[in-house]
Amino acid sequence: MGFTLDIFRYDDKIDAEPHRDRVEIDQPTTMTVLDALEYAKAEVDGSISFRRSCRSAICGSCSMNINGTTGLACKTPVSQVLKSDNSVSVDPMPNFQPMKDLVVHMDPFWDKYNRLKPYLQPADKDEDHERERRVSPEDMKKLVAVANCVMCATCYALCPVVSVDPAFAGPAAIAYAFRFIEDVRDSKRKERAAQISDDYLWLCAHCYACSYCPKHVDPHDDIIAVKRATIEEGLTNHAGPRHALVVAKTIKQTGMLHESEVVQGTVGRFNIRGLLKQTPMMIRMVKAGKLPPFFLKPVPKVDEIRTIFNTLEAPTL
Amino acid sequence: MRAADEAAERGADVAIVSKMHPVRSHSGAAQGGINAALGNREDDSTEAHAFDCVKGSDYLGDQDAIEAMTADAPKQIVWLEHRGCIFSRMPDGKIAQRPFGGAGSPRTCYSADVTGLVILHTLWEQLERFQVKVYEEFFATALCVEDGVGAGVIAYNMRTGELELVSAKATIFATGGLGRVYAKTTNGYASTGDGMGIAYRAGLPLMDMEFVQFHPTSLKENGVLLSEAARGEGAYLLNKDGERFMFKYAPNKGELASRDVVSRAEWTEILEGRGVDGCVFLDLRHLGREKILERLPQIRELALDATGKDAIDTPIPILPGMHYAMGGIATDKFGATKIPGVYAAGECACVSVHGANRLGGNSLLETIVFGHRSAEHAANYIKSVGSVRPSERTLKSEGDRINGILARTGGERHSHVRKALNAAMSDHAFIFRNDKELNAGMDALRKVREAATTMTVQDKSRTFNTDLIGLLETEFLVDISQPIMLGALNRTESRGAQSRTDFPERDDENWLKHTLMHYKGKTSDPEADYSRKVIFTKFEPQVRTY
Repeated sequence: MGFTLDIFRYDDKIDAEPHRDRVEIDQPTTMTVLDALEYAKAEVDGSISFRRSCRSAICGSCSMNINGTTGLACKTPVSQVLKSDNSVSVDPMPNFQPMKDLVVHMDPFWDKYNRLKPYLQPADKDEDHERERRVSPEDMKKLVAVANCVMCATCYALCPVVSVDPAFAGPAAIAYAFRFIEDVRDSKRKERAAQISDDYLWLCAHCYACSYCPKHVDPHDDIIAVKRATIEEGLTNHAGPRHALVVAKTIKQTGMLHESEVVQGTVGRFNIRGLLKQTPMMIRMVKAGKLPPFFLKPVPKVDEIRTIFNTLEAPTL
Repeated sequence: MRAADEAAERGADVAIVSKMHPVRSHSGAAQGGINAALGNREDDSTEAHAFDCVKGSDYLGDQDAIEAMTADAPKQIVWLEHRGCIFSRMPDGKIAQRPFGGAGSPRTCYSADVTGLVILHTLWEQLERFQVKVYEEFFATALCVEDGVGAGVIAYNMRTGELELVSAKATIFATGGLGRVYAKTTNGYASTGDGMGIAYRAGLPLMDMEFVQFHPTSLKENGVLLSEAARGEGAYLLNKDGERFMFKYAPNKGELASRDVVSRAEWTEILEGRGVDGCVFLDLRHLGREKILERLPQIRELALDATGKDAIDTPIPILPGMHYAMGGIATDKFGATKIPGVYAAGECACVSVHGANRLGGNSLLETIVFGHRSAEHAANYIKSVGSVRPSERTLKSEGDRINGILARTGGERHSHVRKALNAAMSDHAFIFRNDKELNAGMDALRKVREAATTMTVQDKSRTFNTDLIGLLETEFLVDISQPIMLGALNRTESRGAQSRTDFPERDDENWLKHTLMHYKGKTSDPEADYSRKVIFTKFEPQVRTY
């Protein structure tokens, strides 16, 4: 019985620096972190600020950092996150500017959606259909996981690429792009793939941080699918897709990663300036005796590897 | 959002004022589905849907409005589908439908158990499409009425702490429910009846407020909803002896009787000692893992999170919980109120299509149908209006009021007043009601409303002051709770969700009329008015059994 909430406190109109408050909660640890915050606000300090509404993990409001990792406060029992000193620390989501206590400025996150033109754009006219458009259960099932996204921004807060490059669309928006790209009723697959490529789709480093999703959407799966779609749509004139394709190509040819070929393929074989930029690294590699060979002999039984490639229906990625 | 989408499609200059981002709306928590007589699974008709609504309403619903809603339902579902809504499908590619309580046909269109969420997202996508301006995290505090005509609202910008005048030729309230008047509710923290409170204070009557729906399956731990879709897919309700008790109360429909009937049955079982720890059980086990994971994954997870029990192999303890307000701002069947230029749609409105008891799957439908209808009406109305120039009078008085609240000292914290309000409502105006309890409830509310005049906040900041918002919400809750209690006290009959132990019968001779409640000031009882009669078209009152 009883624990401490260790709360980040800050008001962006008043405070130069944040501080922390420790609030004793004389309640059982079976309660959720959100219940604990509500209790602290109602009984101890009414100025503690956070967003919340549904308390059933569907409105997406109460995403915050809990003991250093992001999640929905309403879905996190205190008992599961209690630290050895019997406390739980709560902080605003990273990758956002704090506004007040646990409330952050969300606009950059919503802007990423706005750029998607996130609404259905069918090829045919609504009037052509007396009733609903027919969609097979199988085609609809592709959208079931992403339909559960509550836009809580947990994945966006957890994404290390967003933290270094805020122009990156981020996992949530890419998942929402996937929602339309994979919708058989939509007609803008190529345009959508192009737009999301321009929003630095290929910066995703596949670290799987976003695979932790309170709603089991797993936007990482969707990121892979969207990358696949951009290649299928022939949008390969980016370093990202070139890299993916050349890696696959050299493995198919030689059974190994042909590193010097990969560098040329990624930068562009005729991109003289880009290739010259690699020269200092090459010189350092030569000095260290680590320069990879320019010609690679295929491994024994490379045919088996090629068979794997040929067997897979999916395009090379 | 349905209203804004319609207005935008019609080329009107439209904006949304909302205390939350639109996708945070509590409509997203609706799980089970939305009714429309598409007939995708079995033959169905909009007349059959209308009859089920009328019977479900215990003959208090206005039949012209019900017929309009059920006739419009299939068109609105198609509208949503054409705009990309992710409905579950049948093998032939049509929208899937499931059985729901009180319905004569499997009529409830769904998307697993996240139907509200997918519809909410579709509506938001259309806002994006038309680039509708959203005043996000603006908390509306008052309606501007100039020369008897609606002229916009006053809203508090939560980010800057500034009060702003949003002028408009037409204002549509789509502000949702009031679950937070009760201690335990399936509703989110945001469901504080703000729109009802604003309209009520501006002189619009609230209608049929005594009719509060208690949902049969809410979790004991936190009041969170487990969808009726569970019973629609075949789940059982069991008492402590493992008996499927519903057939004692509804011999034909069993678990799929309408919600008022099921909630009363559960509460009777519990009161008569056949519950366990004040609960009965929702049993999904026989549905099997595969069906539960495909059709009801969210409710399985909600139960797992709150109770640690997996519905795949354990019955879940549940009890009736406050879920929905059948009452609200009195409107006509176009969503119009008696103030020109002011409309209401959805849970905050009372048309009335739900009468004394709403059927599951009709709340999402009401938001869509009447969002559309009110916007259509308003779009025509604004063509007849010149310019509106609301005076700064209301802006000034609201500004003074809020400054006064922030400066106030000495009174009780609003969170404590809220608790007293919740206790009064849950103790005295729950499922079973009687004269003595309701009179005690009125006395308790009179004390609460006195305390509310001096309640205080601790947060004096102008940045995202949720303490202030909480106080303003509590003020609305206090105002709109009194029409509930008084309406329940005055109505000496049992009809739908109003169940009087001292008047156990329905009284069609005296009570086929709506309750209208008028605001008479912060510390006065509301004034009741029974001048509005129920509208009948073709369904005569019958004995209601399931």
